[in-house]
Amino acid sequence: MKKETERLIDDLKKDLEEADSSTVITKIWHKYFSDNGYFKLLIKKIKDLPLEEKKTTALVIQQSYKDAQELFNKKEEEIKNKELLGDIDSQSETFSPSLVKIGHLHPISKTIREMNELFIGMGFSIMDGPEIERDEFCFQRLNVPIDHPARDMQDTLYIKEPEFLLRTQASSIEARTLDKYKPPFKMVSPGRVYRNESVNKSNHFVFHHYQGVVVVEKTSLKDLFGTFNVLFKKMYGEDVVTRYRNKYYPEVEPGVGPDMQCFNCHGKGCPLCKNVGWIEMGGAGIIHPKVMEMAGIDNKKWTGFAFGLGLDRWVMAKYKITDIRTLLGGNLGYKYYENESII
Amino acid sequence: MKVLYSEIKELVPELKASPKEIGEVLTLTGFMMDSLEEVLYKGKKDFLIGLEIRQNRADCLSVMGIAREVAAYYNLKVKVDLPKSIKEEGKKLNIKIEAKDYVKRVLAISLDEVKNEESPDWLREYMHFYGLSSAGILVDLSNYVMIMTGYPSHLIDLNKIEGTVSWDINNQDKEIETISGSLVKLNKDEIVIKDEKGILALAGIIGGKKAIIDKNTKSLIVEFAVYDRSIIRKNSRSLSVATEASKRLEKDLDPNGIDYAMSLLVSLILKYAKGKVISSLFSYYPKKYISPKIKFNEKLSSDLSGIEINHKETLRILKGLNFSVSSQGKDLLVIPPTYRMDVSLPADIAEEVIRIHGYDKIPTNEIPKLEVVKNITPPNIILSDKIRDILSATGFDETLSWPLTQKGVNEEINYFESSEIFTQNSVNDLYPNLRQSIASGLLNQMNEYFKKGVEYIDIFEIGKIFGEIDKKYVEHESLGILSASKENNLPQFKNKIDSLLRMLGFKNINYFDAEIKPRISNPKSCWDIYIKDQQIGIIYKLIPSETKLNTYFAEIDIQKITEMLLIIKNNPVVEITKKLTFLDVNVEIENNNSIYKLINLLQKNISSRYLWSINVIDVYKNKYTLRINYKELSDEESKKEQSKVLEIINSFKKNEK
Repeated sequence: MKKETERLIDDLKKDLEEADSSTVITKIWHKYFSDNGYFKLLIKKIKDLPLEEKKTTALVIQQSYKDAQELFNKKEEEIKNKELLGDIDSQSETFSPSLVKIGHLHPISKTIREMNELFIGMGFSIMDGPEIERDEFCFQRLNVPIDHPARDMQDTLYIKEPEFLLRTQASSIEARTLDKYKPPFKMVSPGRVYRNESVNKSNHFVFHHYQGVVVVEKTSLKDLFGTFNVLFKKMYGEDVVTRYRNKYYPEVEPGVGPDMQCFNCHGKGCPLCKNVGWIEMGGAGIIHPKVMEMAGIDNKKWTGFAFGLGLDRWVMAKYKITDIRTLLGGNLGYKYYENESII
Repeated sequence: MKVLYSEIKELVPELKASPKEIGEVLTLTGFMMDSLEEVLYKGKKDFLIGLEIRQNRADCLSVMGIAREVAAYYNLKVKVDLPKSIKEEGKKLNIKIEAKDYVKRVLAISLDEVKNEESPDWLREYMHFYGLSSAGILVDLSNYVMIMTGYPSHLIDLNKIEGTVSWDINNQDKEIETISGSLVKLNKDEIVIKDEKGILALAGIIGGKKAIIDKNTKSLIVEFAVYDRSIIRKNSRSLSVATEASKRLEKDLDPNGIDYAMSLLVSLILKYAKGKVISSLFSYYPKKYISPKIKFNEKLSSDLSGIEINHKETLRILKGLNFSVSSQGKDLLVIPPTYRMDVSLPADIAEEVIRIHGYDKIPTNEIPKLEVVKNITPPNIILSDKIRDILSATGFDETLSWPLTQKGVNEEINYFESSEIFTQNSVNDLYPNLRQSIASGLLNQMNEYFKKGVEYIDIFEIGKIFGEIDKKYVEHESLGILSASKENNLPQFKNKIDSLLRMLGFKNINYFDAEIKPRISNPKSCWDIYIKDQQIGIIYKLIPSETKLNTYFAEIDIQKITEMLLIIKNNPVVEITKKLTFLDVNVEIENNNSIYKLINLLQKNISSRYLWSINVIDVYKNKYTLRINYKELSDEESKKEQSKVLEIINSFKKNEK
């Protein structure tokens, strides 16, 4: 019986070696370890042995049964694991060599967004208004009557002269906001504006303004300069050098011309700043009493400041765009796989 | 305006500042220096300071005006040598003022026996600095006085005119030949100076050839006039003639200033061109200009600047600017000099005080403490920004394009019942029309990209589109999306549009065969996008172009969807505690477009407590297999629900027939 036992273990080993699935393993279990299995049959045969052989044979079979079970358990676990995890090689995947194209915001939108975020943080609202505008809101309500010389500051593109035009400045949104809302309010309005100018590398007939208006009980040029300072530092960094000079705009009194020291030559004078060392950033000032009056706002109770900035040159400098036509033309491209840092 | 440094020094003898310092001071106080040039004048080194003059400071389009500004800043006095008063001799001039509504003041005088020779070197050099060519001593002196005082004058050759000289509105002449030799067509509504035979000059703008001063001129009329500025501006613009004279006279100029200008010019003519006065001084001045008396609370300067400007400083500044100041109770009574026609309100005086005190004294590094106010941002602005984020996150690039298009473009892209709006006077006459769809810009961009070999084109733009409806100009914010590539297909594109709308909060999105199909669309692949019963946009496949790319375009009315989103209250969150169950159903329908209607109908009729999703899992011609997933239902319960679904489908099919 000892030899029979050894043969049985050898058979089991051979079967286990060939086993490759849990179905086969189950069959092996039935073959060797079930009630009708080979081991149970062998054990049953012990009782027929002579008494002197019974004890030693029983011990041998018991040991072999234990060994067989161990062999079986080990293989069963191996197969279960394999089935659970699958065949690593055939299921493995790798990265595609080509990257997916990402989408981008237009540099003008991005810059507007950066500026908006700053002003939203300061409690400003964001406003917009019509692009086909009436002379009243583009000029008259801003203290520029018909045939006023200040109209020469802008060449107007008319839809139906003299009443309907394409807004020449985002200040028209100021005029509409003053007309529609009761103070106090603080708002900025990025907007597309139009001038009747020929298009070339540095001039365009469509460009972008960023207008700001504050009407509160008490404010001053100091608040206006402080606001500009925060804005310029955010957009150009802590080292930015600014100056504020008196400037005429009919809709403000006193008026302000904010300038930034030329980032190209640091004030020494270069072609970019037309050799003056400074770059004009726009216009600003305390809202003119007549503008408030025309909007029905009591200027004894309320004071306001307004500012307007040109966005296009700002964006061109930031993104190193040399031709203004690129901003609205077909030459603006985006790198498929690269975006600016979003923080 | 350019000013010689030596001239300022001559008028402000105590001035010590260098030309550069003067330029910087003027820049800060309102007249930006845009050039500083070293020149040679009268054989000596000099500087020409280029300044931008404020539109409301016609008084500073003169050397004297600038000198007054410099003196006020440095607390110095302007020294002007008064010319000898004119000795009036002889008869009255025969002048009539007919255009009384437009002429504020005229001074005129006649001289004889003058010699119109070449100008001396200094005057020719001087003319050169101002870009004027020397035209004999008489004209050069007239220009010199204009630059010095700011007042243009007009010289008429007395021997070339006949009868009365009058200021009148032109109602007969069709054209005028000017002193520069050009012919100007007239509108017959301009103010002119004429004699009994015809026009001598476009008043305030340019002289005519008829009575031009030439080397043979012996006797002349010198006239200075100030007009209602708006007529000069109107005439100058409508005739497209702008001159040094019109630039000054279309602004508010003090009529009182021409007395000095006249005395100066006559004395200079007598000195350099000899001759003698042969008439009395003609003066027309029906309504003398008097400065306003302004009650001024000096606290206003401190309030508006945000810094303290004390009484002593206020007085110093105002007196330095030649304002008369006296006390009136707690306030000051301030009277500006007549040449300061820009000053009429307390805020104007405050600006004067602040600018001369110095904008550079106002701190710039204090964070403004502005009061908290309510947010009035309109929701369409927030929505547009969200759309930008969603589209860029799904791989679309944002573009911006010209809102003005070429002729014929709108006819191709429009899908509204509106007419085109066009500009009247664009110098860019190739682009006269306002776009009626964002497609114009996106198509241009696509073509540009295609030319440059860009293969995958996924772009969008948010901007205004325009149209005239019932004689009203209408514009609204619109979103255009374009996708073009070889591998592109419509279901993919439609799903992106669908996802965008659902991410914004919409459900019940329908696509119906478009009512108005743009010419560039494939008419069999063109649908109006609906939400409930409102059309919110359009989606179409473009007919193939030279790009041979599969190109799709969609446009959505941002204004409309903003209004709709404001009333939607969705709750997209559910609790799921049971395994989902699904049941498939086969449907055969008549019209492929109605599958959307059917799905919508099912969505409406299956209780939202149980419906998880409806998907089309198979399509063959007009046969669809729909898979309906249920949540929180057992298999038995979902079968009950499914029997309702079959009923709905059956009745839908009956209705369809």
